[in-house]
Amino acid sequence: MTDIRLFGYADPLSARAGQPIDFMVSAEGTKEVKAEIVRLVHGDFNPEGPGFIEETVATDLSPTLAVKRQYTQNGSFARVADPDGRLALDGPFTVHAFIWPSMPGGARQTILGRWSVKEGKGYALGINPEGKLEFWIGDGETVDQVTADAPLVPKVWVLASASFDPATGEARLRQIGVQNSWNSHIGPVTPFDHDAHVKEVLRVRPAHADIPFLIAGAHEENPERGRFVSTLYNGKIDRSGVVARALSADEMAAIADGSPPADPLTYWDTTEGFTDRGIGNVITDTGPHALHAEGVNRPIRAMSGWNWRGRDDSFRLNPSQYGAVAFHDDALTDCGWSPTVAWTPPTDLKSGVYALKVTAGDAVDRIPVIIRPDRARAKIAVQMSTFTYLAYANEHLSFDAQIAQAIVAHTPVISGDDLEYQKLQEFGLSTYDHHSDGAGVCYSTWKRPIINIRPGYRMAGMNFPWALPADLSLLWWLEHAGYDYDLITDHDLDREGLAALTPYKTVLNVTHPEYYSEGMLDATEQYLTGGGRVMYLGGNGYYWVTAACPDDPACIEVRKLDVGSRAWQAEPGEGYLASTGERSGLWRSRGRAPQKLVGLGFTAEGMDRAEPFERMPDSFHKRVAWIFDGIGEEELIGDFGLALGGAAGVELDRYDLALGTPPHTLLLASSIDHTDNYPLVSEEISYAFPGRGGTQDPQVRGDMIYFTTANHGAVFAAGSISWSQALPCKGGENNVGTVMRNLLDAFVKDGALPGSAYTGEEKHWR
Amino acid sequence: MTERTYHKVGRRPWELRGTPDGAAERARARVPGARRHWLKWRDVHNPKTLRRERILADKKPLWWTIGLSALAVTTPFLPNSLISVVSIFCIYAAINVLWTLIVGTAGIFSLATLAVVGVSGYVAAAANVYLGVPWPFMLLIGPAVGFVFGAILAAPSTRLDGLYYALLTMGVAEICRVFVMQLKALTQTGGAITQVDSFIPEDWFLQRPGLLLGFAGAFALLLGALLVWRLVNSERLGLLLRVARTSREDEAFAEAVGIDFRRARLWVFVISSAALGVVGAFYAMYYRSISPQIFSLDQLLLLFAMMVIGGLGRAEGAVVGAAIVVLIDKGLPELGPIRIIIVAAIMIGVTIFAREGLTGARDQFRDFRKRKAGERRALRTEKGGEAMPEEATEVHDKQELYYRRFNKRLRDRLKGLITPELIEEHRRDPLGRHSDALGRVLNYFRRGEMADKYIIHRMEPAVEKFRIMAVSGVRGMPPRVVDDREYDDIREAYHAVFLLRVNDLLES
Repeated sequence: MTDIRLFGYADPLSARAGQPIDFMVSAEGTKEVKAEIVRLVHGDFNPEGPGFIEETVATDLSPTLAVKRQYTQNGSFARVADPDGRLALDGPFTVHAFIWPSMPGGARQTILGRWSVKEGKGYALGINPEGKLEFWIGDGETVDQVTADAPLVPKVWVLASASFDPATGEARLRQIGVQNSWNSHIGPVTPFDHDAHVKEVLRVRPAHADIPFLIAGAHEENPERGRFVSTLYNGKIDRSGVVARALSADEMAAIADGSPPADPLTYWDTTEGFTDRGIGNVITDTGPHALHAEGVNRPIRAMSGWNWRGRDDSFRLNPSQYGAVAFHDDALTDCGWSPTVAWTPPTDLKSGVYALKVTAGDAVDRIPVIIRPDRARAKIAVQMSTFTYLAYANEHLSFDAQIAQAIVAHTPVISGDDLEYQKLQEFGLSTYDHHSDGAGVCYSTWKRPIINIRPGYRMAGMNFPWALPADLSLLWWLEHAGYDYDLITDHDLDREGLAALTPYKTVLNVTHPEYYSEGMLDATEQYLTGGGRVMYLGGNGYYWVTAACPDDPACIEVRKLDVGSRAWQAEPGEGYLASTGERSGLWRSRGRAPQKLVGLGFTAEGMDRAEPFERMPDSFHKRVAWIFDGIGEEELIGDFGLALGGAAGVELDRYDLALGTPPHTLLLASSIDHTDNYPLVSEEISYAFPGRGGTQDPQVRGDMIYFTTANHGAVFAAGSISWSQALPCKGGENNVGTVMRNLLDAFVKDGALPGSAYTGEEKHWR
Repeated sequence: MTERTYHKVGRRPWELRGTPDGAAERARARVPGARRHWLKWRDVHNPKTLRRERILADKKPLWWTIGLSALAVTTPFLPNSLISVVSIFCIYAAINVLWTLIVGTAGIFSLATLAVVGVSGYVAAAANVYLGVPWPFMLLIGPAVGFVFGAILAAPSTRLDGLYYALLTMGVAEICRVFVMQLKALTQTGGAITQVDSFIPEDWFLQRPGLLLGFAGAFALLLGALLVWRLVNSERLGLLLRVARTSREDEAFAEAVGIDFRRARLWVFVISSAALGVVGAFYAMYYRSISPQIFSLDQLLLLFAMMVIGGLGRAEGAVVGAAIVVLIDKGLPELGPIRIIIVAAIMIGVTIFAREGLTGARDQFRDFRKRKAGERRALRTEKGGEAMPEEATEVHDKQELYYRRFNKRLRDRLKGLITPELIEEHRRDPLGRHSDALGRVLNYFRRGEMADKYIIHRMEPAVEKFRIMAVSGVRGMPPRVVDDREYDDIREAYHAVFLLRVNDLLES
C-alpha cells in the first residue's frame, strides 16, 4: 500500500459560530477520509501537563469525505487575462522591461511573454540557463531565439528589450545597463559592461496558444495537474510593456532614460496606483486597452525601482522611484484548493479552537479553526494571536537558519511531519524564512496547510509548543478553573477595532502576541482608557508593525528592518508596508513601544531553561497585594512549566520608564537567575560591550507589573512566553494559577478594583 | 606543525580573447538553413577584472577546420604512394565516423559495418558491370542497398543485446564473404568484381591525376560523412538519444518521458547504413573493383583498432584513429608484418593508459591534474584548516578564508577545554546552567554551518523515542540518519549529539 498523505487548511482560519467555514483537503494514496469535528482542549503531550486532549463534537457532517490530490501553485507572477488576444502578436513588436534579476542562471526564467512551455508556442523575454537575457519565439514545432552576449549580473538593474519583425524575421535583443550608485547590489566601481545589442534573423514566426500573457512566469500544462505556471522568475521587474512595432535604438535609449514609449500597446506602469495607504495587487496598464496584470501569490510591490536614488526612502515620498515588483519562485499566498467540505458551526457552539479531523489508514490531520461565539457570551475574552500564528507559519529555521541552534540553545527535535513538509517545500514559508534568492519573506497566509498550528505540534527548534499549540494550555486552564471565555482573534480586533473588545470585562493576551497592527494597538488602548482590563500574559508582544492586506485578510504583511530580533533585513527603502503605507519594523521605532500600552516590552530571549518569578517589594502594597493572596512572601512563582520548566522564559519583557511604562506602574515580581543564553535584545544595544547575558546584565529578566487606567481599567502583565504554559502543571493547581484566579476574579467584576482605595501619600514609620 | 610553503599563484591567459563593446550592435550570422551560428562565441565576465571578454566556447570547429584544410592543402604535394595512403585514410575515416554514429549515438554494437559497405559496393559494382548502369548512378544504388540492408540488420538489434548482437553481425559479414566467394560467376576473379567504371577516367587510373582525383573524392566522402555525423548528432534524433543516454539501460523510462527511444536508435542505424552504402559504391569505384576482402575479419579488426585508438563515440576519435592505423598499415609497407604488431601494441597501450582513446586524453589529463591538485592540497593543508593560496583562488567569498582560519584556531583552543568533567557536566544537564567552558564549546557547536548539522528526530508523534540525523543544508533535500542508535530520553539524545560533536571537534 502506498503511503497516505493528508494536508488541509480552513478558510477562514477563524469565524463566528453560525458562519460557514470551508475546509480544503488534499489527499494522496486515498480517495476517501473519515472526518469529524473535534474541539482541541489541550495540545502538548508533556507528561507534566494534562496531555493531548480533544473532544469529538456531534455535527451533521458526513462521516466520510471524498478527497483528491490538490496541487499548489508556488511562485509569484502576474497574469494579464487578455481575453481578446491583443497580445497574440502577428505583426512587429517590442517587449521591454526593467529587470533586477536576483538569480540569473541555473534554470530558465521567463520575464514576460505569452509563452506556452508545453506547446512551444508564442514569444517571451527571459533568462536562459546560462544566465543570459534571451528572447524566444515558437511556432509549436520549433523554438528559435536570440541571446544577449553579456551575462546578467545578479541584483543589478538593466533595461531588457526585444523587438521582432515577422516580415524580415529580424529580432533585436537589447540590454542597457541602468545601474546607479543607489539602485543595485553593487556599485558603479565594478567594471562590468552591462550592455548588449544583438541582431539576428530568426527562422520561426510565433504561433499563438490560447493562454494568458504572464509577467515573471510562463504557461505550462500537464494532464494530471492541468494548467499552471512554470519557469518562474526571481528578482524585481519595474515598468514593462509591449509596443506594436520594432523600436529604434533612440527610442530604447529614451525608455532607459525614464520616458515611457510614445505609442504603447500596453505599458504596465508599476508606479501607477500608489496612494498614501499603499498599493494593491493589480499592476495597472496605462496603455489603450487597460490590460491590467493581476498578481498571483502576491508579488511584492513598493520595492525600490530602477531609478531609485536613496533620498526618498519610502514610496510615499516619491512613487516614481518605487516601480519595482519583486517576484519569487517560492512565494505562496493562496493554495487555491477547492473546498472539500463546508461546516457551519451551530450558533450555540462553545467558543474554542476546533479542528476538522481527517483520518485515512495511519494518516491523520487536524485542520484547526478558531470559533468565536455568535455574540459575546462570556465576561472574559482570550485574544488568539492569529497574526503571530501566520508570521511563524511553516517556519524552516531548524533546517535553513545557521544561527537558529545558537539562538535557542537546543539541538532541534524534528517530527515526521517536519520531514514531510521540509521535503515537499510546497506549503510556503514564514516571515522567519528567506526566499530562494535570499530575500526575506514578508507575506504569510492561512490559505495553505500550516504544520505548526496543529494542536500537538512542538516547534522543532526547541521541542516545546509555540503559539497556537502553546496557547491551548491557557484555554485548558481557564476551563479547568471554571472561567467561561470567548475567543477573539487578532484579525477580529484588526477589522472591528474597539467594538471587538467592549463586550468584555477583561481581555487576555496569549503567549506570544508579537505581530500587531495599528488598529489593534488603537483598540487595545481605547479599551484600556475606557475602563477595560487587559491581562498581557506573553512575551515579546506588540512588537512588529504588521498589517492584514486590505484585499485579502488571510494574508499578513511585515517588513523586518533596522532593529529587533529580525530573521531578515529589508533592503534600503523597502521598509514600508505595501498594503497600508505604514513604516514597518518595530512599533517602538514608531513611538509606540509596547511599554506605553501594557507597561512591558521585549528585553531578552533564550530557550535553554526557564526560571521562576520572585516577588518584588511593590507586591506588598495594598493596591496589589490581593493578587498574591495565597502566596508566600518569598515563594517562587512558577518554578515549573511545560515550556522549559519555569514560568519566566523563552521570551521576556521588561518594565522600563525610559520606554514609556506608565509612571504609576508597580513592579510586582521579576524573574531571576537567567543564563547567558538569554542575551539582551539588539534594540537595547547602542554600544556593544561584553556581558549582556543573563548572568551579568540586570536588564535580562521578565517582569510582572500592574497599573490602573481610567474608569476602573487596569493592566496586569507577566512578560514571559512560558507563563501560560506553567498553568497546566500540578493538575492546574499551582501558584501561577493562584495569581491568575485572584486577578480574574477581580477583573470580571464591575466597579472599583480591589486595592484601588489605597491612593494616599505614603507615610511609614518603618 | 610542519613548515608551510607558500607558492605564488596566478597565470597569464594563454587564450586570445575578444574585448567586446556592449553598446555596439552585433549581427550574428547563422549557418544557412539552420538555426545555429557558425561559431559558439560567448561573452563572460573575467572574475579577476570583471571585464567582459569574448571566448570561443567550443573550439572543435576551429580544430576541424585547421586539420582538414591542412590535409586538403598538403596532399597534392605528396608523392604518389602517400596520396593513395591519404585517400585510403579518408575512406576509412568516413567509415569510422559513420560506425561511430551506430555504436556511439545509437548505442547499437554492430560489427556489420564493413558488410554494409561491401554489400552496397558489390551491388553497385554489379549494376555497373553487368547491367551497364553508368557510374554516377552507383552513388544512388549504394545508399539504397545500404538503407535496405541496414533496415534488415536493424530489426534484431532491439531484440538481442550487446555481445549477441555483435556476434550476429559478425556472422552476417562472414555469410556475405562466403556467399560472394561461392558465386560461380565470380570464381575466376576469386570473388571480386573488376572493371568497375569510375569517376576516375580509366587512363588516369593509378596515375598522378587519377590519384589526386581519387583523393578529392575521398576527401569529399569524409566531409560528407562528417556532415551526416553532425546532422544526426545535433538534430532531433541525436538530441533525443542524448537525453535518453543516461537511461540507456531503461528504455521504459525513456518512453515514459515521451522519447521513442527505439525508433530513434533504429533511425540512426538506418541513416548511417545508407551513408555507408555511399562509401561502398565509392570504394568500388575508387579501386575500380571490389573483392571479398572487404568482408574479412582482419579488415574489421583493423577498423576496430582505429576506433579503440581514436576513442569511441567521437568523430574526432574516428578520424584520428583512422589516421594512425592507416599511416602504419598502409604508409609503412616496408616494415612488413611488424606493422600489425605495432598497431596492436598501440591499441593495447591506449587501452591501458587512456580511458577514452587518444581524443579523450585531454579530458583525462584534466581529471588527472585535478586529482593531483587534490592530493597535493590534502598534503599541504589540514582538513578544515587554513586554505593555501591555490585553494583560495577557488573560494569566491574571501571572508570564508578568514572564517576557516579563525575557526581552526578557535577549535584548537576549544579542544583544550574538553575534559571528562566537562562531558560529565553536559551529561548531567544538557540544557542546564553551564560553566563558562561548556558554554563556549556549546556555542561553537550551535553556530556551526548548516550542512551536516545534527538534529534529533522524534520517531513517532508524542513518543519519547529519538534518533540522530544530520540536515543537508539544501532546501528540500531531506536530512540523513547518522546512525541506528535510538534514545528514549531526550536528554540522552541531546548528550549523544554533544558527544558526536565533541568527537568531530577532536578529530578535526
